[in-house]
Amino acid sequence: MQQVLLFVLLGLGSGALIACIALAVVLAYRGAGIINLASGAMAMLAGYAFWSLTSGQYGGVEFATGPALVLTFFITLIIGVLVHLIAYRPLRNAAPLAKLVASLGVLLVAQASMVLAFGVTQKPQKSVLPSDTVHVFGTTVPVDRFILAGIVVVMAAALAVAYRFTRFGLATRAAAENEASALLAGLSASRISLANTVLATMVAGTLGVLAASVTQLDAISLPLLVVPALAAALLARLTSFAIACAAGLGIGIINSLVDYFSTKSWFPTDHGVPLPGVKELIAFLLIVLAMFLRGAALPSRGELVEKRLPAVPRPGRVAAPAIALSVVCAAALVVLPFDFRQALINSLIGTIMALSLVVVTGYVGQISVVQLSLAGVAGFTVSHMAVDAGIGFPLAPLAGMAAAVVLGELTAVSALRVRGVSLAVVTLGAAVAISEFGFVNSTWGGGDTGSPVREPHLLGLDLGPHAPFRGLDGGLPSPVFGWVVLAVTVAMCLLVAAIRRSGIGMQMLAVRSNERAAAAAGTDVRAVKLTAFAISAFIAGVAGTLYAYNFGSVSDARFDALTALSLIAFAYAGGVTLVSGALFAGLVSTEALLPHAFDKWLGISGNWFLLFGGVILIFTLIQHPEGIAGALNKRLRKGPKLPSRTAPSLGSQHGAPSPAVGER
Amino acid sequence: MSDILQARGVSVHYGGVRALSDVDLDVREGELVGLIGPNGAGKTTFVDALTGFVRYGGTVTLDGADLAGLPPHQRARRGLARTWQSIELFDDLTVWENLAVGSGRSSLWTLAKELIRPAAAGADEIQRALDLVELGWAAELMPDELSQGQRKLVGVARAIAPGPRLLLLDEPAAGLDTSESEELGRRLRALAHEGSSMLLIDHDMGLVLGVCDRIVVLEFGKVIASGTPDEVRRDRRVVEAYLGSAGAERVAEQL
Repeated sequence: MQQVLLFVLLGLGSGALIACIALAVVLAYRGAGIINLASGAMAMLAGYAFWSLTSGQYGGVEFATGPALVLTFFITLIIGVLVHLIAYRPLRNAAPLAKLVASLGVLLVAQASMVLAFGVTQKPQKSVLPSDTVHVFGTTVPVDRFILAGIVVVMAAALAVAYRFTRFGLATRAAAENEASALLAGLSASRISLANTVLATMVAGTLGVLAASVTQLDAISLPLLVVPALAAALLARLTSFAIACAAGLGIGIINSLVDYFSTKSWFPTDHGVPLPGVKELIAFLLIVLAMFLRGAALPSRGELVEKRLPAVPRPGRVAAPAIALSVVCAAALVVLPFDFRQALINSLIGTIMALSLVVVTGYVGQISVVQLSLAGVAGFTVSHMAVDAGIGFPLAPLAGMAAAVVLGELTAVSALRVRGVSLAVVTLGAAVAISEFGFVNSTWGGGDTGSPVREPHLLGLDLGPHAPFRGLDGGLPSPVFGWVVLAVTVAMCLLVAAIRRSGIGMQMLAVRSNERAAAAAGTDVRAVKLTAFAISAFIAGVAGTLYAYNFGSVSDARFDALTALSLIAFAYAGGVTLVSGALFAGLVSTEALLPHAFDKWLGISGNWFLLFGGVILIFTLIQHPEGIAGALNKRLRKGPKLPSRTAPSLGSQHGAPSPAVGER
Repeated sequence: MSDILQARGVSVHYGGVRALSDVDLDVREGELVGLIGPNGAGKTTFVDALTGFVRYGGTVTLDGADLAGLPPHQRARRGLARTWQSIELFDDLTVWENLAVGSGRSSLWTLAKELIRPAAAGADEIQRALDLVELGWAAELMPDELSQGQRKLVGVARAIAPGPRLLLLDEPAAGLDTSESEELGRRLRALAHEGSSMLLIDHDMGLVLGVCDRIVVLEFGKVIASGTPDEVRRDRRVVEAYLGSAGAERVAEQL
């Protein structure tokens, strides 16, 4: 019992960290209308700032704790202002989903730049708080746990009071209720949002600096703490600071107890080690619970918003570009040196992955972070069917795709209740849980070493990367596998383009535009969503199967949440409503052609690409919401497209319709 | 002439507010029925109830079949089409596609068929509906390239396109000017001549009194009068509802 109490008290430390990120999430939502996925990343940035100051990273000067704290304070302040000015301010009238994706861009930029600057190894953060211990109820507990929890509680109370009683709080609440009226009342929505964004950054940053004893400083774990923090913030309905704080502390305590219980003999194990990913699973379940308890919809904000997603033009001619692309790629798969062949294959598979997002995000307007996990499920199914049951090609891939579709439909069922931004949050939780609970597990996932995959054979023919027919340089991977991937990619591109032209594609867009009107026009909104998620999951499953054969083994690293988020970033930057956007996303995705070429010729590592990816993502969101491919398309089509049309009788009184489609 | 729509005792509550109480309303084959009433009388709520967007008490039958428990899209497929006060077009689709949404069916099977052979589902009906509102030239434009009045008409065309049994028009003339409104009235009359049945809600008294065969008047969620345009025009309660009792006396003097 005493042990339990000890771990409860120890959990206050990580609980404080989660709670303060949750406070930052609530602040950003109430003050700026953003579900800020970068809240954890802000804590990380402050942590790194303090660490680099105290460890003499800048010009060899080792600052003492006091000056370093002051400097960190200002650095964090500046970061908050910059993030607001560069990313959030230009998008304050964009769709909520666009804002969420922008925060994802901020997260990627922050994370990639820290990895580039300080590497991936964890840094020993200097502890600011006293390292004494106190005796409570017969156990010895480090005193800083209480201090951390105390700081967070004080911050939550201060925020609650400020929001309730000060003019600033009143202004923020007014702007959240009705931005237009707030503007008319002389309040600047932009300034309010700036103040809140900076405040949120400071709140998250405080614990990023002070929580040295409970967390390691690295570029992965802190940014992803936003997932349990989101669970806490959602339990607080993104409104109550007190509940967010309490829920955050509670989650920390639960996590600490999970640590304790996992040392017990009754705790379920997997090959001798305690079951991994239980904490992530709990965070996910809490998010789901919060959604169902509090109602699926997030509290709405009365914004001056044009809630439009990027346009989805009907694809023009697809046959000619498809054939041209196939011929070029087919030849390149023989001619190119082995590493570029591999990169080309990776690009093609990345394209298929992005196509899955085109269907679910581009056509139906739902952001699902879980798509890459679906690919992972397909990949692991292929591997385990071969290893555990001796079932190979082509039955195993079919089973893999079926598994992906089943899981995708489960997501879709939640998408019937939860949509838009909420769905993005739920699926982010799901992606982390599936990766940590499912894929890391060595029984049904890949464990530490990954799970092996055998070569695909059909009628005695080796279709895998080790097929006897080799490229010009005689190395692996075999062009045969490349051709298989190419054929599948082209088929998937054509499928997605055809969906846009089909009746069901129109219904998807109708649902995206206006669910009520779609239902009144006879469209079964549920069926359309379920179909879209099924198709999307199927495409993800295809990609996952190819991933598996491509690398000869499946490991969790390829399907983790950060990779999933970067995939969304690339797909969005390329043009999430377009097949050509998916091709672009494939070109720049992890280990694809462009990153490989830059790495090989210019020595620019993949992390630079993540950094560029984040920057380009924010830029395209602001400048070209339809993505890079969409912007190119527009430029190409401008001019000769439409003959001038005249509007007879009825139209003329209202002024002629706008002159050319290209100028929209 | 048989009843296409029979609404009996339709009631709707929003929390403690009684938005509609015991409304009876029939629409017969080829009939153009007007539904009028002051703001907040429950006209749109009635349409929402018929089309399944709000829960209601009472029964609604279409061609004799009870619609109880059917979701909006199934009511639409059985032939209840509606337009919206606030237009509600699909902004991401062209005008043509806006109309085509209603004729497509969402199943993997139809998708598979369309992948093999792209079918222009209901092309004739769509063209006919667009021609009826004289927007054939706008087929390939996006809704936001049209004027408010034109968008309104696209909404009407979208409801007409699938050839519904009953067309529910929620303020189609709002936002149109007088001549456009008269033109719309003529077209609705022409549609009714061809055998379409309609329920027309509008604030434009000239339009409603001019084109409808029969008019039902709602006030505070209750039917206060129904009959031919002439009967309704002379009904004292109706005039009171619209002008207040003082205004009603003045009108009575003029009559």
